[in-house]
Amino acid sequence: MTNLTATRTGVVLTVSDLVVEIAVPRRPPIRPVRGVSFEVSQGQRLGIVGESGSGKSLTALSLMRLLPPRARIAGGEVLLRGSDLARLSERRMARVRGGRLSMIYQDPMSSLNPLQPIGRQVGEAIVAHESVGRREARDRTVEVLRDVGLPQPERRFDDYPHQFSGGMRQRVMIAMAICTNPDVLIADEPTTALDVTTQARIMELLGRIVEERRMGVILITHDLGLASSFCEDIHVMYGGRIVESGPAPAVLNTPVHPYSEALLESICRLDRDVHRPIAAISGQPPLPHQLPSGCPFHPRCAYAQDVCVEVPPPPIPVDGRVTECHFPLEEARP
Amino acid sequence: MFRYVFTRVVTSLALLVLGSILVFCLMRVIPGDPTITKLGGSIREVDEATLAEIRGDLGLDKSLPEQYLEWVGGVVRGDFGSSYFSQFSVTTLITQRFGATLLLAIMAMLIGALIAVPASIAGAIWPNRPLEAALSGFAAVGIAIPTFVIGICLIIVLGVELEWLPTQGYVSFQSDPLGSIRSTLLPAITLGIGVAAATMRILRPSLIDVGSASFVRTATGKGLRRRHVVVRHELPNAAIPAITAAGIIVAHLVGGAVIVEYVFARPGLGTLLVDSVYQRDYGVLQTLVLVAVAAFIATSLVVDVILGLIDPRLRTKAVT
Amino acid sequence: MSTAASAAPTEGIERARGDSAPRRLLRRPAAAVAGLVIAILVAVTVGAPVFAPYEPTTLDFLNLFTPPSREHLFGTDELGRDLFTRVLYGGRTSMIVAFTATLIAMAIGVVWGFASALREGWIGEILMRVADTMMAMPVILLGLVLVAAFGASTASMIVILGLLFAPATARIARSALIGELRSEYYLAALSVGASRARIVARELLPNTTPVLLARATLVMAEVIFVEASLSFVGLGVQPPDTSWGTLLQQGYANLYRSYAYPIFPGLVILVAVLALNTLGDNVQKVLDPSRS
Repeated sequence: MTNLTATRTGVVLTVSDLVVEIAVPRRPPIRPVRGVSFEVSQGQRLGIVGESGSGKSLTALSLMRLLPPRARIAGGEVLLRGSDLARLSERRMARVRGGRLSMIYQDPMSSLNPLQPIGRQVGEAIVAHESVGRREARDRTVEVLRDVGLPQPERRFDDYPHQFSGGMRQRVMIAMAICTNPDVLIADEPTTALDVTTQARIMELLGRIVEERRMGVILITHDLGLASSFCEDIHVMYGGRIVESGPAPAVLNTPVHPYSEALLESICRLDRDVHRPIAAISGQPPLPHQLPSGCPFHPRCAYAQDVCVEVPPPPIPVDGRVTECHFPLEEARP
Repeated sequence: MFRYVFTRVVTSLALLVLGSILVFCLMRVIPGDPTITKLGGSIREVDEATLAEIRGDLGLDKSLPEQYLEWVGGVVRGDFGSSYFSQFSVTTLITQRFGATLLLAIMAMLIGALIAVPASIAGAIWPNRPLEAALSGFAAVGIAIPTFVIGICLIIVLGVELEWLPTQGYVSFQSDPLGSIRSTLLPAITLGIGVAAATMRILRPSLIDVGSASFVRTATGKGLRRRHVVVRHELPNAAIPAITAAGIIVAHLVGGAVIVEYVFARPGLGTLLVDSVYQRDYGVLQTLVLVAVAAFIATSLVVDVILGLIDPRLRTKAVT
Repeated sequence: MSTAASAAPTEGIERARGDSAPRRLLRRPAAAVAGLVIAILVAVTVGAPVFAPYEPTTLDFLNLFTPPSREHLFGTDELGRDLFTRVLYGGRTSMIVAFTATLIAMAIGVVWGFASALREGWIGEILMRVADTMMAMPVILLGLVLVAAFGASTASMIVILGLLFAPATARIARSALIGELRSEYYLAALSVGASRARIVARELLPNTTPVLLARATLVMAEVIFVEASLSFVGLGVQPPDTSWGTLLQQGYANLYRSYAYPIFPGLVILVAVLALNTLGDNVQKVLDPSRS
């Protein structure tokens, strides 16, 4: 992995108190994202980690305003260079998407239109945001395809998605996302569908791109190992809220929130005793329509007290990071 | 691409031969002696000699495979034998009526497509409740209502009450193109509504399925407008199942054409078919069925070729 | 944006709550209404002798072609007979023919399809090729050919229609059974040592029932449609038997004297087919929420 020196100079994206609501017929709406806040700076590598159901993917989709039909942003702000993306009209938002804010997704196999050549699909992104002629669009496409490590880009410009491997397709997707030089790139589980070696290469590519172009990156993942090797800062999500956030080494090596602790305990490591049973977290992550009162983690938390059941913990600074727990410190726990 | 088309053509020809054998056997195997029919029904007192003579005329005294080969030989030469009833050869009968049915089929398909495709696209671009309900309703009713009911309603409204269009008969295309189209308009609309409904029933769910596909999200995520995404990305992909199902739609078309021709008293292949059933005219029936089978096989071939043009996955190999 | 998600979330949540299939079906307003309509239609037509206000053969030469009125809901025909009564009695024939034909189609089709699924190898293939060939022809065309062969009558209608729809049913039955044969619980049962015959008979076959029932509803709708079409051109049910199709034929012949004559039977056919289609579609959606 390339070294993680931060080259940040300014905040480009500010998310404040984001709330996402999904309407359910004949029932009260559910809120899978309940007040999420974070910032992304130029060149910063941010990670949002959590299990399925934590709300991390919906958070990402809501930044791009790509929510499914029954879902909507019910509260909060998403400020990208001053404009609140949550309030923009669809027309204006279309200008932002793929232009100043881009996203790559987890299934490269099906994320490309099987009926169009890949070169045309990448070029489409350029043409949608800048008024360039076909010739120039084609040249720039070839250039960015080369940049993402696609061999023989001039020849493969006219090939179709099914003629590429998974790793190559993901490179094409990355090309599509960065060709317009966005301020922030959101990567939603970009390597989950790929094998480990390809995974490493793709992450390396992303790291290089981010550094060269000084893009902010939000990596959404459930893979703590991936997050630890790529991200500078980490937000841990659970039950629709960010329960711990801070610099990656701090959060991942010495977590303060009981959930982060439990997550780390449950990882199988080579340097541990093989005979030790896997320390899985008992219970299941809560479904969005069955969120516990107070702190969302209390049913599975070893240190839960009465106050945890009744009062949702506010975010408090602890030890160089921010966490939402009534008893973050060892000393305060029973 | 060439290899793809070539294999399809060869398969089609094989199917055609198979189909012709099936048709032939079907005709010979069903009960009812055409000889008796030719004589007008239930004459019991004709002597053996006359019967044998007629059988000989019709070639019924030879063995089955011989009869088949004789028939095939004729077909290849363009001679489909003669009708058991009228003096005309089957070929004459069919060519006389072919034009009317062809015009009807083409117009009905055009009208059907003109209704179904824009309606489905509109439903995908503007997904609001009332439009959805209207389109679903139209498709559901259109496919449930028998063709002749639509025909009768149209006759009543447009033909009798408003007197906008003629309700019967047919003007040949060669003699008067405009009048020909005019006389075919009412039947074509009748049939076209059914075609539109059948097409919409496949195209709309297909568009919905495609709408939730990942690459649509990618396209929207690139900042493309909804119109662009639907027309350039969703529609081509959604069209594939619809085109594949073209066979079913053409089946609807053919079945409906028979009824529609009857309702509007058009001298086409459909009315010929019905008449030949009434009269147990196996000579005509056999050929008509063969024509229908050939039409199907041809349609499948055309569909496959079109699909080959649209879908690159059929032409080139995938890389894993 | 797509509307696919509009069907899925409720189904998913309702299923997760453990609601049984029939319950979920009844919750859908379209299915409930359709079911009610069919029940009423079947009741009044099969029970025509009970529900009809007049005798179907009662002539009234003073009241030819009267428009709909209080005494004659649908008006009268060319011989002064009450059209509403005739529609009910016609419906009786149409419904009985449709129901029996559907039964025959399902019976033949299920045996055909299951045999093809269980006998892998060339026998199964041939069975399916035959089905495919039959399905490639338009139903009305094939129907006309069979009528040419077997003659037209109420009884022959039942047999012919049953034969016409058997191939399509066979395909559905076969793919349903193959789906079950590929399922993991079947493999699991086999690996535990249960005999194939036992599992097939006791677990797999019953599991295909819902899909087949859904298909039966849709088949019945089409049977009504085709019977009406064939009777309309005079090659289906023959007089003195009446069905909706023959009524429509007579209505068409008398089109210029009375619009009600063809329109009412036509409307009734539309309602019957629409209701059956809706019911069948909804049953399919309940069984497999991924289909919209």
